[in-house]
Amino acid sequence: MFETVAQAVINGLLIGGIYALVSIGVTLIFGVVKIVNFAQGEFVMIGMYISFFLANQYGIDPLLSLFVTMPVLFVMGVLIQHFLIRRVLGPNDMPQIFLTFALSLLLLNLALMLFSANYRTVHTSYSDEAFHVGGLYIPEAKLIAFVVAMALSGLLWLFLHTTDLGKAMRAASQNRDVAMLMGINPNRVFCVALGIALALAGAAGSLLMPFYSAYPFVGQVFVLMAFVAVVLGTLGNVMGALIASLMMGIAESLGIQYVGADSGQIVVFAMLLLTLAFKPTGLGGGRAR
Amino acid sequence: MTQTINPRHAILMAIGIAILIGLPMVVKSSFAIDIFVRILLFAFIGTAWNLMGGYAKQLSLGHAAYFGLGAYTSTLLEINYNVSPWLGMVAGGVVAALASLPIGWLCFRLRGPYFTIATIATAQALMLIFLKFRDFAWGAEGTTIPNLGAAPLMMQFENKDSYYYVVLGLLLISLLITWLIERSWIGNYLVAIGEDEDAAEAIGVNAPKMKRDIYMISAFLTALAGTFYTQYIYFIDPATAFSFNISIEAALVAIVGGIGTLWGPLIGTVLLETTSTLLQSWLGSSIGGIQLTVYSLILMAVILWRPTGLMGMIGEFRQRYAGRAPARA
Repeated sequence: MFETVAQAVINGLLIGGIYALVSIGVTLIFGVVKIVNFAQGEFVMIGMYISFFLANQYGIDPLLSLFVTMPVLFVMGVLIQHFLIRRVLGPNDMPQIFLTFALSLLLLNLALMLFSANYRTVHTSYSDEAFHVGGLYIPEAKLIAFVVAMALSGLLWLFLHTTDLGKAMRAASQNRDVAMLMGINPNRVFCVALGIALALAGAAGSLLMPFYSAYPFVGQVFVLMAFVAVVLGTLGNVMGALIASLMMGIAESLGIQYVGADSGQIVVFAMLLLTLAFKPTGLGGGRAR
Repeated sequence: MTQTINPRHAILMAIGIAILIGLPMVVKSSFAIDIFVRILLFAFIGTAWNLMGGYAKQLSLGHAAYFGLGAYTSTLLEINYNVSPWLGMVAGGVVAALASLPIGWLCFRLRGPYFTIATIATAQALMLIFLKFRDFAWGAEGTTIPNLGAAPLMMQFENKDSYYYVVLGLLLISLLITWLIERSWIGNYLVAIGEDEDAAEAIGVNAPKMKRDIYMISAFLTALAGTFYTQYIYFIDPATAFSFNISIEAALVAIVGGIGTLWGPLIGTVLLETTSTLLQSWLGSSIGGIQLTVYSLILMAVILWRPTGLMGMIGEFRQRYAGRAPARA
């Protein structure tokens, strides 16, 4: 009994690390630029396909391709902010919502056209390896993904709290108008926020590749989870998103264990509905938008 | 805002309706009629979406929830209790309108993009419920609607023309409702909420009640489309009835055509569906994803360059070339 629960919690925690990378990106963009990036999941998908092709064509380990996906997606984020999102920033919600939504549809369907709906997998030496600790089973690939995800989150925390640019981003997130008055260049801060958020999504893609299949719709799985985690962790709150993602991972895993194999998503929706009904401002405190 | 009806508009309207009624008598190809039915159906759904999404700017991407509820209500009533889908259609509308109350209660707690996400989640959650409960509504496999041949009382017809007239009727009803709302104080209140909800409340608009009511109307109409579509294709399953693509297309046609305008959804649907048909006939339907790729490019182009959509373009065109076109509020 105890072992089953512990096993489910561990499984959930490990995948929760990946959810955290995606949700931190969503909440960072929301906090700083005040838009919701509907396409965040598609950047996970792009990260996965980059890792897949690097592994398939050149035999590069998906974990090493992190050093390719993160810079590539960072640049994509800067370009998307500079050429697309910058043009729709304003008081009106509609263009912002539907621009990133259109981007999501476009990337998803381009992937469908270019790569077909087939599942692509990469098999690494550690894909099937696992640690056995006191009767518990810890898959190596997932553990690596979790550790790297937490390390990246920690680096982001350091960046936000110790560098000038990071402090500028936090300032912009807390009060954009005052931050602008203090001489912070909004577009530069926004470009970096988009870049970092997309780089994290790309990292999630590379980390997933050793144990998860790439297919055009894969991003949808993660983005929905991220949206719920971001509401649960209070919009714009990076630490809240991280903790909420881990909780979501555990809740999903317990749902799969005790309700049924296909109920992971139902648990996620139930959590969203409960959050909205009882604590729409999220667990991180503060005001809902 | 004038309360009288411009006679020129009335004549144009009458001609337009006459053409739409006469269309199936001239065009005999059932392939073409099928496309017309699709256009009218999505124009209808888009018009229903536009009431809430366009005027009150509550950008839902979860209208498939009501499409699906309408489809399932009428089908369950027909197969289990032999109730005519005509009655089932109204029942489905009522179920959807009632369902919009708790769904709206939850989703309206969030504003802007997070409202949109919450609507996506509710539609997906409903789909999952219908997927899981197989003894109640056939689960993932869905079911076929028993073919009774020519049975107009059971909303089954032998020729496609009749379906065309049914969906044309639905579209005209939704346009009439939109027109009436647009002309009345309700329309003004909705637009005020869409412009700035806090400011609207400050001047005495009961925003939560207005949003709830318009969401009910929008849900009711969307559910009618669900029943019609199921009767038209003789099949229902959760993946079709609660398809995310329906939510997307409802919003897409309204935005491309002109958000918050009477004719926007219809014009948008004509453009998008025609494009999609041409693409399919040129490239074949072998390439997956091509339709939505093109749709998303059109959507991005509209948002970046013409946020007022085709209706806005038509307005500019008239101002420039028709000259001295009197400015109308």
